[in-house]
Amino acid sequence: MASQNMDPAAAASTAALKGSETSGSVSKGSVSKRLQQELMTLMVSGDKGISAFPESDNLFKWIGTIDGAQGTVYEGLRYKLSLEFPSGYPYNAPRVKFITACFHPNVDENGFICLDILKDKWSALYDVRSILLSIQSLLGEPNNDSPMNSAAAELWDDQEAFKAHLHATYKK
Amino acid sequence: MYGLFQEAIMDSTEIAVSPRSLHSELMCPICLDMLKNTMTTKECLHRFCSECIVTALRSGNKECPTCRKKLVSKRSLRADPNFDALISKMYPSRDEYEAHQDKVLEQLSRLHNKEALSSSIEQGLRMQARHRAQRVRKLHPESENTTFSGGEDNGDTRSHVSHDSAPSHHTSAPASYAPEAGPSRSKKQQMSDDSGPEAFGESCTPPGQLPGHGQSSEIELIFCPHPLLVNNQQYSQTRYVKTTANATVDHLSKYLALRIALEDSQSETQANRNMEGEPGATSNSSLQDVSEKQFTIYISTTGGQFSVSHAAISTLLIEKSEFGLSYL
Repeated sequence: MASQNMDPAAAASTAALKGSETSGSVSKGSVSKRLQQELMTLMVSGDKGISAFPESDNLFKWIGTIDGAQGTVYEGLRYKLSLEFPSGYPYNAPRVKFITACFHPNVDENGFICLDILKDKWSALYDVRSILLSIQSLLGEPNNDSPMNSAAAELWDDQEAFKAHLHATYKK
Repeated sequence: MYGLFQEAIMDSTEIAVSPRSLHSELMCPICLDMLKNTMTTKECLHRFCSECIVTALRSGNKECPTCRKKLVSKRSLRADPNFDALISKMYPSRDEYEAHQDKVLEQLSRLHNKEALSSSIEQGLRMQARHRAQRVRKLHPESENTTFSGGEDNGDTRSHVSHDSAPSHHTSAPASYAPEAGPSRSKKQQMSDDSGPEAFGESCTPPGQLPGHGQSSEIELIFCPHPLLVNNQQYSQTRYVKTTANATVDHLSKYLALRIALEDSQSETQANRNMEGEPGATSNSSLQDVSEKQFTIYISTTGGQFSVSHAAISTLLIEKSEFGLSYL
């Protein structure tokens, strides 16, 4: 765990040099295998309101979309997200952020999401599908106790005003 | 399982259980593969591969990945050799299967050469056209089983794809078409060899085992006209296609489009000059405007449903679905 005290960027490059040796120390093959499995699961499951696919040839970077759930102020809005999988996946959580700007109490201006399952509550059993579904439900049920966007948290109680602001500022 | 009581079976009746429904019981929720060196949590009785759970405990919270119950250390786990024995009884050929999977994955990451693939498809087509010249006399041309080889050896994994055509140019096909079985139906004990007709509705016939198998990077697909979208009168041919595991859906639809165009041009020329010509040499010109956009390939999932496949997805992934559907 010496790497905890290092500059993360430096740590990442050493890890890259050493191959796929990070805290998880999982072989790259088994990570791609699992990602392939997940991709297939997503392709055939046909979940409504979420989707994800590798960005290009790189299986370790995906682009996902989430449609705002019905009955929430986000209904009718579609958000793009990026998912980056570390070589320690699924033991380490993927880095997930919004590409489409998202006005939400738990999302900051850079698209970073404050969600426990992406941090300390991560479990190797979560997958792309459960992450996207969790974020989808986070949209409708924010945690206003520890907001990253306090303006959004304050406005949340007035759903009409929140919705008006949300839709006025939404950009694809 | 279905909430119904059943009489105990006292005679030699055999019950077929789809590997798919077994898979969720036998898979490790971390690597999504079949359990290997099973470890069971002592308190909550959740199962994982030894390697997976040990890595998970080392890199994450000290809790059960499935239910978050506290797991202090490796001592909160115990090996479950009985479960391993059960799996190896059910899947004696598991090592073979895994070796095959690894090889395919390796090839997939190494090979990303679309051009090589499409040229091998073209080559396969020519070969086939030549072979067909002999077969056409014996077989009804509309119900033949076609095999297509793009690599050097055969594999015995397969998947089911239902295929939908937009046959604007297709004319004659027998109206009374009975689904024809493959050359033989011998079932092997291979996990990917599952095919509950119940899972596929009417869209897919059970896979026929094509003779002459080795192991490895090929995959056998069955294309049927989509039961809802394609008018049976127009087009009703079931096709058996064998291809390399790194072919994408785009490759497959292009291949299908080519084949159908080729067959069309052949039946025309046959009508014109009384057969007996060299079919391989027929009108390559009309094949130029063939595109992979003519067909949509649907993947047949459970309950006779279909989902549209993505152009870039490889057949390896389709093959995987065969084994991976149960945990949807």
